[in-house]
Amino acid sequence: MPERGFLGFTTLSGRVGLGLFLAFCLIALAAPALAPLDPLAINYDASGGMQRMRPPGGDFPLGTNYYGRDILSQIIAGSRVSIGVGLLSALIIVFIGANVGLFAGYFRGWVDALLMRLTDIAFGIPFFPFAVLLVALLEPSIWNMVLTISCLLWRSVARVVRSQALSLRERPYIRAAQVAGASDLRVMYVHILPNLMPMVLLYTAIGIAYAVLSEASLSFLGFGDPSLVSWGSMLYDAYVTGSISRAWWWTVPPGLCITLFVISVFLMARDWELIANPRLAR
Amino acid sequence: MTTKARGRALISRAIQSGLTLWVLATIIWLMFRLLPGDPTTALLGTGQLPPDAVARLRAEWRLDDPMGAQYLRYLGNLLTGEFGLSFTFRQPATEVLAPALVNTLILMAPATAISVVGGVLLGAWLGWRRGGAAEFGGALLVLVLRSLPAFWIGIVLLMAFSYSLGWFPIGGIRTPAFFPETWWEELPGFDFLRHLVLPVTAAVLYFLADPLMIMRTSMLEARTEDYISYAEARGLPDRRVRRIARRNAMLPVVTYVGIMVSFAFGGQILIEMVFSWPGMGRLMVESVTQRDYPVAQAAFLLMAAIVVVVNFLVDLLYALLDPRIRDA
Repeated sequence: MPERGFLGFTTLSGRVGLGLFLAFCLIALAAPALAPLDPLAINYDASGGMQRMRPPGGDFPLGTNYYGRDILSQIIAGSRVSIGVGLLSALIIVFIGANVGLFAGYFRGWVDALLMRLTDIAFGIPFFPFAVLLVALLEPSIWNMVLTISCLLWRSVARVVRSQALSLRERPYIRAAQVAGASDLRVMYVHILPNLMPMVLLYTAIGIAYAVLSEASLSFLGFGDPSLVSWGSMLYDAYVTGSISRAWWWTVPPGLCITLFVISVFLMARDWELIANPRLAR
Repeated sequence: MTTKARGRALISRAIQSGLTLWVLATIIWLMFRLLPGDPTTALLGTGQLPPDAVARLRAEWRLDDPMGAQYLRYLGNLLTGEFGLSFTFRQPATEVLAPALVNTLILMAPATAISVVGGVLLGAWLGWRRGGAAEFGGALLVLVLRSLPAFWIGIVLLMAFSYSLGWFPIGGIRTPAFFPETWWEELPGFDFLRHLVLPVTAAVLYFLADPLMIMRTSMLEARTEDYISYAEARGLPDRRVRRIARRNAMLPVVTYVGIMVSFAFGGQILIEMVFSWPGMGRLMVESVTQRDYPVAQAAFLLMAAIVVVVNFLVDLLYALLDPRIRDA
């Protein structure tokens, strides 16, 4: 049995991941206070000329973009959309997936057959092409983005939770609870689900990583909410204005932020994986 | 499993694949039909056409038929490979799609092959060296590769090798009016291969993480198996032992190839967009933004069909490769 550590973070890499993750979340929470300038304002110099494509330095620590907007402020404001969409989508993914898996594994029989065929079909759909179609047909908004990302990705959570629930439901303590008169829902949520928590946490982390990458990718294709800045939409702007040929200060920071945030989540996931699957820790 | 039971499993797997495709076709139909507007608004723009012309088109396209009849006609058309006319290109969607499919495969086939083979070899090498710098480096490599957005890999490659160094073209599939200046530029396919290098590199970097990680884990597990201890005890050289372990550790990677194809189309779309590669992914994104629904729909259904068929074939291959399934 490994020591539990802080929130289950037993390794250095897990703690580094947690620190990075919390730092990003704090920036996202405090974004309006932290951003030095309005991320969507067009900046002019004293003589009224647009401050366009300024390299880092002076008033603009990370430079400005083609539209004369401050890149540092866009990075800070963009963290809100990217991380917000990621966290919310992951919660929905895990909520749907855990419930589908729990019901299928606990009730077995036709409930299981129905839910698992549904899951198989979800696995048969190529996720990203489907997300592109859906998000393009819906109105561009962050809610539709969340809906698009979470409507398929619950599938892997459902499969894993089901297989765990199938084995847990045969344990003596579950029989005992049933004999003592606990209702099905009580057995499922009070006696089975808590034992699946490390697994659920692990899949929440993986869900966040996929959701953040998906949001960035869909925004890069231009399907994001045009009134909001996200890391993906910054790269879309840089690409469509042809600025990737010269403005490294515009293309590197958003990509780096996406990568670092996803790395932080995967680092946390590794530690939860050790708890969920102790065989790995040997 | 007896032959009969295996046949039954195969048939049920085939039925399941067909069912998935049917559900997908239905979802797509619903998505395109239940949204506000109909093909006349998409094709002609709202309010630009006199009402009687719209009515004539609606009648011609039988848009006033009951939904059920339209749905059945749609399924019938799909079965005969009829995807409708492209609104922008004014030719059958399948004709628009065919060259794009070829371009996609030109890019995807080498990229997936290189990443699977590379992932297996690199993963086997890393998994054989437990502890120390190799394990740390391997874990770090996988972590970074898994976290990089596909399109950003492409952007960084373009910035470095096309815009800064000028070694490779900035996109597309061939240079219009290409004039070779040196003898090597006159070699057949030179211009085309030069266009292929960066997109394939980006795709390989994006696809590599999973086969690499799976192979590494599987190799670490294989190390502890009895047949490896036996091979070592027989005094076989390390290279031979490693080959035995590698062949056994490869099975999970084979299973993964099915998943990989589904996931490869996602990366493919992004990489085609970054490198202006005229493939199916780019065609789908462009047609859906221009509301050319027949093409978008056909492109998506084709990708989905490829994914379903490949997954089915991978299951067959797996049964052939794993003697525990084949002979049991």
